[in-house]
Amino acid sequence: MKLSMPEMPPATLLGALGQYNLLPAIVFMPTRRRCDQAATETASMRRDSNDERREARRDFMRSAVEQHPEIRGHRHWDTIIRGGVASHHAGHIPAWKLIIEKLMSAGLLEAIFATATVAAGVDFPARSVVLTGADARTGSGWRQLTASELQQMTGRAGRRGRDNVGFVIAAPGLHQDPQMIADLLKAPPDPLISQFRATYTTLLNLLDAYGNFAQVREIAERSFAHREAALQITRLEKAREESRQRIETKLKEAGCDLPLSVVSGFERLVSTRSRLQELRPQTRAEVLHRWLDEVVQPGRIVGVGRSGRRLVLITEKRGGNVRGIREDGRSASFALERIGRVYAPLYRLNDEFIEQAFADVRKRGQELLIPEPRLRDAHAEEADAVGILDNNIESILPPQLHPEEKLRCTETLWSLLDDADEWRRTLRRIEQRRDEVWEPFHQRARVLATFGYLDFEAEKITERGRWLADLHIDRPLLVGEALESGLFNALDFHRMAGVMAALTADEDRDYGELELADALVQALARFEDTGFKVATEEWRFGVEPAPELNFSAAAAAARWANGAEWSTLVYETRAEEGDLFRMLSRTGEALLQIAGLRKAHPEAARVAAVAGDAVRREPVR
Amino acid sequence: MRRSRDRTVDKRRRSRDKNRSQRSEHGLEHSRHNSTNPTAARQFGPPQSRQVKQLLEGIGTPGAQTFKPDPFQLEALAALEFEDVLVTAPTGSGKTWIAREEIRRLLDAGRRAWYTTPLKALTNSKYQEFTEEFGSDRVGILTGDRKDNSDAPLLVGTTEIYRNQLFDSLRGGSDVNADLVVLDEAHYLADEDRGHVWEEAIILTPPRIRLLLLSATIGNANEFAAWIEEVRGVRCGVVTRPGARPVPLRAAMLLPDKRLLPLLTESGKLNPELARMGQQAGEERRGPSRGHRRRY
Repeated sequence: MKLSMPEMPPATLLGALGQYNLLPAIVFMPTRRRCDQAATETASMRRDSNDERREARRDFMRSAVEQHPEIRGHRHWDTIIRGGVASHHAGHIPAWKLIIEKLMSAGLLEAIFATATVAAGVDFPARSVVLTGADARTGSGWRQLTASELQQMTGRAGRRGRDNVGFVIAAPGLHQDPQMIADLLKAPPDPLISQFRATYTTLLNLLDAYGNFAQVREIAERSFAHREAALQITRLEKAREESRQRIETKLKEAGCDLPLSVVSGFERLVSTRSRLQELRPQTRAEVLHRWLDEVVQPGRIVGVGRSGRRLVLITEKRGGNVRGIREDGRSASFALERIGRVYAPLYRLNDEFIEQAFADVRKRGQELLIPEPRLRDAHAEEADAVGILDNNIESILPPQLHPEEKLRCTETLWSLLDDADEWRRTLRRIEQRRDEVWEPFHQRARVLATFGYLDFEAEKITERGRWLADLHIDRPLLVGEALESGLFNALDFHRMAGVMAALTADEDRDYGELELADALVQALARFEDTGFKVATEEWRFGVEPAPELNFSAAAAAARWANGAEWSTLVYETRAEEGDLFRMLSRTGEALLQIAGLRKAHPEAARVAAVAGDAVRREPVR
Repeated sequence: MRRSRDRTVDKRRRSRDKNRSQRSEHGLEHSRHNSTNPTAARQFGPPQSRQVKQLLEGIGTPGAQTFKPDPFQLEALAALEFEDVLVTAPTGSGKTWIAREEIRRLLDAGRRAWYTTPLKALTNSKYQEFTEEFGSDRVGILTGDRKDNSDAPLLVGTTEIYRNQLFDSLRGGSDVNADLVVLDEAHYLADEDRGHVWEEAIILTPPRIRLLLLSATIGNANEFAAWIEEVRGVRCGVVTRPGARPVPLRAAMLLPDKRLLPLLTESGKLNPELARMGQQAGEERRGPSRGHRRRY
């Protein structure tokens, strides 16, 4: 039940709350910008009339500057002192947020405009919390608040020892919904749901510690997520046992003394038969496509277009597309369907042989051609297969059976199809759930093995894997490969800071549009190349590749490492301070990790140490 | 079998709250208050209806009280002597107090503790809090970019760093030298990106080390504790703050004309006046006679 009403101007809202003695309040706002606007607007409309408190705030801020010089001249300075209100969100640096929190605790603020993120973490109470809607903003739009989120918010209402009662106030808003808030207030808290997942770091460390996959698997299967799976497996096993009993009872009732394997085998033959008939190609185009997919492969020459006169030597096939070299030496890429003819010989993809290959096809074209299939032929093949299955179905019953018995049992087998199908499916689901937690580790082990960090057969990590295990960093494999290929050795410290920032920053956050120096772009491009190699292998083994590099973060971090003033950096990037702070702080941590590889990669470690120091200076600590 | 701790505590609380107000089990107060609180009679702002008076009754600051631990805090402390403990209670209800007292007891006995938090900012503020409490020589801090006094008997750090220490000790490095590990904000286990670190920390912490998990209120605390018990082979008790909130909560709706209405009725339903307004608004939106779409 939406109750859509225009939002009150923040000063009016605080005025009304003040009349009911409901201040101080935390007013939740959907975006950072709205928080900032509300605070500034309130301060310009409504001056805190209490001179004493205004002076107290001024004194407080002045002494805070001594500890945190970076907050001097903050754009919200006057807002706080004059208006007694502040905005608090992830766009501000921690030092600033800390001051707001302390001012609030000291009872020197009337209101804080905050995003929902303030609800998590630091203790930060008020008499009232105000909601202008029952929605939460996400990266990609709006969604309903959850019970736990609302509880985190209302958890801020009522200061222990300072309030007899706390209040949650629904204020007018375009997305206000009092019914929803009422429901959420009464809802039980959300359950804790496991997000357990495999990472390279965990795999390398556990394998090194336990020395074999079986034990690593055992550890992974102790996860909270697997507990849920294990419970479900028990349920599935029970269901499987029940369907087994059902099948056996029916067999007995029909007087068929057949083992379960015959029932299951019969079901599989019948279902394979029907699947085969469903898959039968229906049109000529379909037959042709399947044929092309089979015969077109790297090293073969094909004729393109209707006439098939333009010859191309295939070099690569991916999905429904191929790439190749034309007779004039230029490359071509096109859809599989455009191929009209395929020649049988497989030629070597070597420059010196290519010309000869084309000459060969020009000369003996007709005799080298692979004949196209006809729809009738294709059907004939399918019919053969179906025939074989029919024979097997026919002969699955023991030969010594009496004809009458045979008839009765065949009927029973047909009637048991559904039960047998369920019996088999349940087994597959059990197997799937068993592998769910381990499979992602297995896939990562394969990837690490292809890059030489792990010996898959010996179930051991290699010398290289040992330092990679120690590298506690996002995307360790990419960084490891960059280190191995010597990419870092060519970098000076500010470019190294830039590259590591590109890697650690949130993929979709914008850190301004500083111009990237050519040298930095080159370094990033080489890094992307390595990233592509890693992603290709990950993709091959079913591991989701890591997100893209963030170039705007690289530019900002390089500028900062190069000695820019904090205020200059903020001004030039036009990024939010809090975002810059977090990105640089994480970059600094990542650099420290590389600086720790003194033995395996001494040169990169040395530069990373310098870069780390350059990044980790006030206010980034 | 898990003991039911809540019952006795509930009884004690009930007697204490008898003169305060009616409270539902969610800690949410509905609009009936028999308060005898002296500050309740103070009148603020615009003329108030009886309804609003009731809503605002008792608002204000309590008189100075000497600190007395809540029963659930004492209960958690007592349980820690014998088993791992999962404490679930909302922010600001005194979970940290439990950890602090247990740490004090251990430090005084010459033993050691690790305190983990999910955030660097939180780690820094806990570090400050503990150095003030126990003296800077007894507290160390470990984060991704800060390492001070790392041999101290009490270490404060991010959960990642603690997990990494567990990895190191499993791989033959130095042992994790602690008698107690506190996982603050343990509900981070459900964090999409980092939650696995909490699971790894719980699974890999040697059973000889006592675990104290501090979590926001969650819907499946018993299940969570049962899992911890299974993977560690150590009993894990659940201590939940009864009545959910340290300070009672009331809900209200502020209207554009600055009237204040209770959000809920005595029985916890939506205030019928608000329900009526919502219905009217809905009908207006659907109204057929309007020639133009109303803009919001």
